[in-house]
Amino acid sequence: MPSPFLNPGATSSADNVALLYVRRDQSIPTILRTYDDENQGYKEGKVVNTRFGSFPHSTLINQPWGSQIVASKVDTGSRGRAPKNAPKRKAQELEEPSGTTTGTGEEKPELKKPEAAASGFLHLMYPTPESWTLALPHRTQIVYTHDSSYILHRMRVRPGSTIIEAGAGSGSFTHASVRAVFNGYPVDEPATKKQRLGKVCSFEFHQPRAERIREEVTQHGLDGLVEVTHRDVYENGFLLGEPKSGRSPKANAIFLDLPAPWLALKHLVRKPADGSESPLDPETTVHLCTFSPCLEQAQKTIRIMRQLSWVNISMVEANNHRIEVKRERIGLDAEGVRGANVHPKSVDEAVNKLRWDEERTKLTRAARIDANGGERDEDDEEADQKPTGKVHIEPFLPRPTDPAYKLGRLIHHSEPDLKQHTSYLVFAILPRDWTEEDEQKCRQQWPSDKIEKEPKPGKSKKQIKRDLASQKMKEAKERRTAKRAAAAASATEAPADATQTTENVEEDTEMKTDA
Amino acid sequence: MHSYIRPRQFVAIQLPSDQIRITKIVPNTIVQLGKYGSFAANQVLGRPFHLTFELLDAPEPDGYRLRVVSATELHAETLIEEAEGEEGEADDALPTRTNQNIVDDGSAQKLTVQEIEELKKEAGGAGKEIIARILESHSGIDQKTAFSLAKYTLRKRKKFIRRFSIVPLDVSTLAHYLMTERDAAKTMELRDEHIGLLGCLANVHHGGNLPVNESNKPNGRYFVVDETGGLVVAAMAERMGILYPPDEEDEDQDEDQDELPIEEPSGTDQDGQAKAKPQPRRASPRAMSATGNSITVVHAYSQPNLTLLKYFGYDVSNPDESHPLFTHLKTVSWLQLVDPLSDPIYANKPESRSAEEVASLKTNKRTIYYHKIARWERVKSVTDEARAGGFDGLVVATLLEPPGVLKTLVPLLAGSASVSVYSPYIEPLVDLVDLYSTARRTSFIYQKRDIEAETPEGEEPDLSVLFEEFKVDPTLLLPPSLQTTRVRAWQVLPGRTHPLMSARGGAEGYLFHASRVIPTKENIRAAGTFRKKRKLESTSTPNNERDVVMRT
Repeated sequence: MPSPFLNPGATSSADNVALLYVRRDQSIPTILRTYDDENQGYKEGKVVNTRFGSFPHSTLINQPWGSQIVASKVDTGSRGRAPKNAPKRKAQELEEPSGTTTGTGEEKPELKKPEAAASGFLHLMYPTPESWTLALPHRTQIVYTHDSSYILHRMRVRPGSTIIEAGAGSGSFTHASVRAVFNGYPVDEPATKKQRLGKVCSFEFHQPRAERIREEVTQHGLDGLVEVTHRDVYENGFLLGEPKSGRSPKANAIFLDLPAPWLALKHLVRKPADGSESPLDPETTVHLCTFSPCLEQAQKTIRIMRQLSWVNISMVEANNHRIEVKRERIGLDAEGVRGANVHPKSVDEAVNKLRWDEERTKLTRAARIDANGGERDEDDEEADQKPTGKVHIEPFLPRPTDPAYKLGRLIHHSEPDLKQHTSYLVFAILPRDWTEEDEQKCRQQWPSDKIEKEPKPGKSKKQIKRDLASQKMKEAKERRTAKRAAAAASATEAPADATQTTENVEEDTEMKTDA
Repeated sequence: MHSYIRPRQFVAIQLPSDQIRITKIVPNTIVQLGKYGSFAANQVLGRPFHLTFELLDAPEPDGYRLRVVSATELHAETLIEEAEGEEGEADDALPTRTNQNIVDDGSAQKLTVQEIEELKKEAGGAGKEIIARILESHSGIDQKTAFSLAKYTLRKRKKFIRRFSIVPLDVSTLAHYLMTERDAAKTMELRDEHIGLLGCLANVHHGGNLPVNESNKPNGRYFVVDETGGLVVAAMAERMGILYPPDEEDEDQDEDQDELPIEEPSGTDQDGQAKAKPQPRRASPRAMSATGNSITVVHAYSQPNLTLLKYFGYDVSNPDESHPLFTHLKTVSWLQLVDPLSDPIYANKPESRSAEEVASLKTNKRTIYYHKIARWERVKSVTDEARAGGFDGLVVATLLEPPGVLKTLVPLLAGSASVSVYSPYIEPLVDLVDLYSTARRTSFIYQKRDIEAETPEGEEPDLSVLFEEFKVDPTLLLPPSLQTTRVRAWQVLPGRTHPLMSARGGAEGYLFHASRVIPTKENIRAAGTFRKKRKLESTSTPNNERDVVMRT
């Protein structure tokens, strides 16, 4: 079954993971089921309840991804009291204490057809490593997207690579890295030597967490792409299967999210001291990244890296912040608008408002005098002027005619809770082992002192083909026009011509490397 | 991939000055390193990447003039320092040297420029001797604090030591090179961290090896709008495993590469259709023929500008058939995408001629004829495929105004597909986020409903008025979000750990991200927060009432 993370297809399907997008930063991960696998006891089968309504899974299965799904009317109150359900559940528990989930589905095959509710909806999304990172159940501190994206990019983790990850934690980085290495599911037929399939070798020393990750890998259709090993890597290294004698993962990249990465480094060498096989790919440069929140951890790691011959060691931290965009509305006309600041927006409006206030004060006073039985004093004239008691000016400048979504000034600011620091990332590289023997072989293939006087630019395949073609054409032409004698001449002319054109083309494509 | 240095491959050479040079390693030639000297290409060919070489003064008998510097030697100084530090941590009591008595007037260095020049000519040891002599003849060397001494040594070493290392030219290295050595504005100052994030947010990855059939849609089809000269396309291709030509890992002979490639793409990727119907005419694959794991570049001029792909062995104007991009990279112009019938190539189908007619043509006319047919077929199939939609992601780094790009391309995305847009500046993206605001979405839905209600049954409602007002359909993306990332580098040395003093400024760079959603046709109301909002309003009513009373 293809993984919804990698090949979601066009529609959602039963027994696959889906993310129910409720609102910004709130998605509910769920495994879509046609039956009530959690024994919830709803008439509609498995139901997800949110503050925006209830959603029976039958309304979520076989829908195009990205669809807006309308909430259903689900009776959430009576299911506990339902006489039909309670004894059945109990009886089942007595019969089979493990409580298989399929049992319920078989017993109650007919589910109530959900009825659309008046309001409420959510969006049905396929999971991506990014959305999963935001939605996953936290078991540990997790690696966020801005870190994982940079780590994988910088470690050159690409389709076909093998990456070691320790520890797996909550599986955030696991999902990001499986997408990066993915270039196909393992098939039964032996893979051609040419194409190596990407793989994630995940190590976790906490037994329940390792189990959880393993379950997730299966649920998410990543079996064969992620291999989870429960292991204390400080002690027992990175071989798959048995600790000291297992298979080598032949990793191109290693990500260590451990409290003491330096303790694991001794296993990540070309020739381990204990004589076991190296977990590294002997054919390629190996990239390493450690993820440590504290500076002291990073410093200690770097010290050990230097001793173990890692090169290009560098430490960075990735700072990421999200930016919120909104419209800031200031003005006296914004009364009652949510989030608006009711305050004069300009000097003109302030002046206007002061005038209005003044006029209103006078009116109020006049009204009071009226009420007091017509005792008139200095306010006489004004009261006569406005017998209706209406103010002629508005407190604010003319109301804007634009629709509400265009009003106010468009502003942006950082998110309210800034993540200032996640961890220090230490990167390092271990080149291939290069022996004197390899060197001698290379020198035979590429003689050190062989230098052509006039550096002849190399020909691309296309160019060679084209040269051949043009040569052939030329030859044919010559043959046609001239007779036997001319044919001999073309053999000497044509190649010279061909090389000339090559040189011209190559000159253009060649890089100018002057600094 | 990249396990050793291959002939005629572009590589990046790292120099002691932290400069990068990009050069093609051609057998039997000399590679120049500027003031650091030069070396023979043959002496690095076949060797692994990332080794540090030192130029020797005297060649070995066979003419070899390089020496591989071991990691221990590279770290020697730090390792010694660290070892010393461990032994005598309690040295704090000793008076530390300060810069109290240092007068920096240029007289401290006793060697003159001429003398240093002489040294350069004579001294050996790959520059180490020169550095030693310069340090020796600095009169104030014993006054320098450990920190300034380290800095001084480092500065001199960068100038004189004759070492270099060769690294593979990949997207990361190229981006760094373009940022530091070239005109960064040409690549929109796209930093490495944003390249990584851009691809992740758009969920760009290899399409896998599932067979394509009626129940399985082709996987991994992405739209890219790239005005960085091909950097973004290269980055996405790298993520999808189609940037580097497959290398003959097992057979070591690189010489016999002249042979025709054996249908590479159908074997490696999910080209189920191509596999099912092998091209009878030619063994070589058709350009832009991949069904899945493909990039469709939408370009503003008649030809896309993807010149940077040349570093990865792919020349767009003269593509190499064996390169994976030959089949997996598709290009379509905005005209072809928006209004194909106005496009001269798409709209003008070449007359098809009978086999006899073709046979009677002159050779060059026949070639032109075949070329025209092939071009039309290619443009037609790529354009039709693009217009049919169902893409898995959209990556944008463009000089065009983002709303127009999204208005055209977002409807062509499959549901739940991700969109990521890079911009060096925030303003265009802030505007873009606003175009997808909740207030606009609500208003759009109501206005659209009104228009639909007015149009008679069975007719297509004319929504052009709506798009004049809204620019994009705000109901198609959720949730519009904006972010920025910056990587800060640190120096980690015994007792001297701190962030690097300076970094590159310029454009900060921002990313917009959202996912394609499919709004329901039914009239629905939001729940939950809706009720809460009403409550809030009700608390403010007394205020309003008072106002009303006062006004009347």
